[in-house]
Amino acid sequence: MTPPGSLLCAERLHKAYGPTVALDGAGFSIHPGEIVAVMGPSGSGKSTLLHCLAGIVTPDSGTITYDGRELSAMNDAQRSALRRSEFGFVFQFGQLVPELTCVENVALPLRLNGTPRKEAERAALSWLERLEVDDLAKKRPGEVSGGQGQRVAVARALVTRPRVLFADEPTGALDSLNGERVMELLTEAARATSAAVVLVTHEARVAAYSDREIVVRDGRSRDMEHAI
Amino acid sequence: MNARQWARDLAQGVRFAFTGGREGWVRAVLTAVGVGLGVALLLLTTAIPNALAVRHDREMARSDDLVLDTRIPAAADTVVVAHVDTEFGDTTVRGRALEPEGPRAPLPPGVDRFPAVGEMVVSPALKEVLESDSGKLLRERLPDRIVGTIGESGLIGSAELAFYRGGEDLAPYIDDARATRIDEFGFSGSPAEPLDPVLLLLVLVVFVVLLMPVAVFIAAAVRFGGERRDRRLAALRLVGADGRMTRRIAAGEALAGAVLGLVFGAVFFLIGREVAGGVEVFHVSVFPSYLNPSPLLALLVAVAVPAAAVLVTLLALRGVVIEPLGVVRTARPARRRLWWRLLLPLAGLLMLYPMIGKGRGNGDFNQYLVVGGVVLLLVGVTALLPWVVEAVVARLGAGAVSWQLAVRRLQLSSGTAARMVNGIAVAVAGAIALQMLFAGVDDDYTRNTEHDLTRAQMQVDVVRTVPLESAAEKLRRTEGVRAVYAYSEGMAGDRPKEPESSTWVTAGDCAALREVATLPSCRDGDVFAVPGVEYDTETPKLAVPGRTLYLDPSYEGGPERATVAWRVPHGLKQARARTWLTGAERGGFLITPGALPAEAGQALFQEVYVALDPSARDAREHVRNAAAALHPMTNTTTWAATEKSGRFTSIRTGLFAGAVCVLALIGASLLVSQLEQLRERRKLLSSLVAFGTRRRTLSLSVLWQTAVPIALGLLLASAVGLTLGTVLLKMTDTPVRVDWTSVLSMTGIGAAVVLVVTLLSLPPLLRLMRPDGLRTE
Repeated sequence: MTPPGSLLCAERLHKAYGPTVALDGAGFSIHPGEIVAVMGPSGSGKSTLLHCLAGIVTPDSGTITYDGRELSAMNDAQRSALRRSEFGFVFQFGQLVPELTCVENVALPLRLNGTPRKEAERAALSWLERLEVDDLAKKRPGEVSGGQGQRVAVARALVTRPRVLFADEPTGALDSLNGERVMELLTEAARATSAAVVLVTHEARVAAYSDREIVVRDGRSRDMEHAI
Repeated sequence: MNARQWARDLAQGVRFAFTGGREGWVRAVLTAVGVGLGVALLLLTTAIPNALAVRHDREMARSDDLVLDTRIPAAADTVVVAHVDTEFGDTTVRGRALEPEGPRAPLPPGVDRFPAVGEMVVSPALKEVLESDSGKLLRERLPDRIVGTIGESGLIGSAELAFYRGGEDLAPYIDDARATRIDEFGFSGSPAEPLDPVLLLLVLVVFVVLLMPVAVFIAAAVRFGGERRDRRLAALRLVGADGRMTRRIAAGEALAGAVLGLVFGAVFFLIGREVAGGVEVFHVSVFPSYLNPSPLLALLVAVAVPAAAVLVTLLALRGVVIEPLGVVRTARPARRRLWWRLLLPLAGLLMLYPMIGKGRGNGDFNQYLVVGGVVLLLVGVTALLPWVVEAVVARLGAGAVSWQLAVRRLQLSSGTAARMVNGIAVAVAGAIALQMLFAGVDDDYTRNTEHDLTRAQMQVDVVRTVPLESAAEKLRRTEGVRAVYAYSEGMAGDRPKEPESSTWVTAGDCAALREVATLPSCRDGDVFAVPGVEYDTETPKLAVPGRTLYLDPSYEGGPERATVAWRVPHGLKQARARTWLTGAERGGFLITPGALPAEAGQALFQEVYVALDPSARDAREHVRNAAAALHPMTNTTTWAATEKSGRFTSIRTGLFAGAVCVLALIGASLLVSQLEQLRERRKLLSSLVAFGTRRRTLSLSVLWQTAVPIALGLLLASAVGLTLGTVLLKMTDTPVRVDWTSVLSMTGIGAAVVLVVTLLSLPPLLRLMRPDGLRTE
């Protein structure tokens, strides 16, 4: 049953890749502005859970509701539109477009939504400032460090002011110092914009930035708050 | 650093090429397939001169010329050969009737015994046609029993239609130049006449134009999988390999692909050779055994391809710094310099310059200068294109997201894009130049037949033994025939031998004669003089009533003629010439049948001109069959508006066939390269889709990414092609005229190749955009 007031909720999710079962009855819910860490060992199914919640992957069965709308009832174009306008993403390796400058990378989601280039780049620049990497605006991803690139990726994820930010091991490729700074900036910015954050990680110190933790193991999820 | 170290590193690279698991194998095989296709095409192209030479030799070996310098008497070792060629559709069927005159009569090549009367031996291709449903009409014309097939040594191509049939009483036709008496087949006189210098120029340029893109393609093929390889090399740096070692190891990997490519190429070549044996392009076919590349050229290919692979890899790695922790490409590579790139085409022009204005009269073009000049000009395209692409894309602004993604990608690495289109640009530049040259000299090699195709479309040459009236009547009643005009034609001279003055005599009924001249009135028994035709000064001299003229007079050195005396009648009328069916005006005497001496039939030859019903299907075949039924030695000619030199046509045909192969090959390489790039970007594409990028946006970005360099490449190719075309025309002293149709069609074909490649790469692109790309476990 959907917890009252939840923004995004999944129930009894099943997903298999061939013979490998990635999700086996997992559930999840998040409230607006909440930061939830999804934890678990490698191969436990946490990234698949994130992909299902974000509408990137369709589960084999189960329901996902976002803001009262059933995700599995939407077609690919509707889910893409949802991701463009309501969701933001940060991946482990940033996945910045190497040929675009940092400011163009950050402006990209806005441009995909139809915002004129100059306006989009102005907004992008202000986000780069917030994440303390505005001096990199004209540089390409190949010219910046991993930590800097990840901050640019966070700026890109937040530039559309998403209601949900999905972060898949956002500090996985960074040293602890850089990782912590990225998490500070990410959570600060998310709270400032009231974005809910689904934070997939296997590191306890990263999960410490969250309000609540969910552990995924063998495709099943367990809410640690309710477990206590 | 010594040779041993080089060899060790190269060997290490070769090992890496095959020990990288499935991915390593796939990459090595991909490279080998690319190189193999190029090698096969190189071998096939280098085998073409040999194939043409063998065709020529076979043609010479079976030669049986009708016009011989000396006549030989019938003997135990002679055979009379009559030419009984025919046509089926647009294809010529080579036909000979053989009548051995003694036990030692020579057999033509490929035939092991003389067919008896009513029998024939045929080429395998003709046998197939005759046995097929579509060959029913031809079978009617060639009803003889098939008693064997002509061997390969008697044919000039696998698809050649040819037959030898048994003949009798052929000797009387020797005088008519319909038959010949020989004691051996083959032409052992002078060697093949040298190729006209302009045609030689064409052949040289065609070869360069076809081979250059193949070389460019091979250079691109050895770089397949480059990015992934660079990452692997970084791992080697981590365990202690220095920069130079990694480059040599990379070269070793390319060498492995190239050597495997040579093996693939040899296999593809052998397959291609067999396939070529079953293919006929524009009426030219060859036997697989004809396609043997010269050993020297094959050796050159075997050495040059691996060497080029090593060289290209070392050059390509110049701009890449492989560090232990990854590959570093300076985000903004050093700006390309223009000066040395301009030197190449300029040097090419300088090499061609001394030959400008030489024309055909001056004979020889220096082959080395021509090849060198054209190669440098075309290599200039490959050198200039990266600079042009870089210079132009640097100035392109950001537009829509798809455009921005494409332009930024090009700005970051324009070299890859330029390399992708280099082959097409070279092929198009060369083809434009050649098309210009072809169009320029076309008139020299095309003869306007001037036949009036609105009035008659076929000509039937009826032998003297068949009465003209009955031949005309049979042809008139043939299916698909609208009208026939029958004439007896010949010459009339003032003396029976060695006449000083002579003119044309044309005999026919009034309706037929009205096609030759405007007659005041006409009835059987009338004779008309037609003076006033250009170059005919003799008719007024001979058109004197009462004067005796001699039909079919004899000339010294020629055969003895059955000359017939004819007196110009007193009632001679005057007529005014009009353009005849043959497109020319005909002067001389026009004679109605009633005024022709009875024995004139021996002195005149007989022609029936046939007008066909354009809506009748197979009308030409019916006429050919009716003509063959009149007499087996009846010649039938289908008229065309123009006639082209056979050699000119075959060179032009060769260019088209070669260009199609080259463009298909380059298209395949473009596709492989495109897929390779997409695979490299799989994760990025998936993440772009994850945050909502429309698939259309990404597809359009791929299209722009190919279309921009292609547009620039075609523009540059057009400029270089037009320059080269102008130079070639000036070399042959031909007025320079740009054949815009060919420029547009060649650039259009180039653009179409890109479009097809982009369309073919869309399904994999859509697959790669699936979220699976985000999975890391």
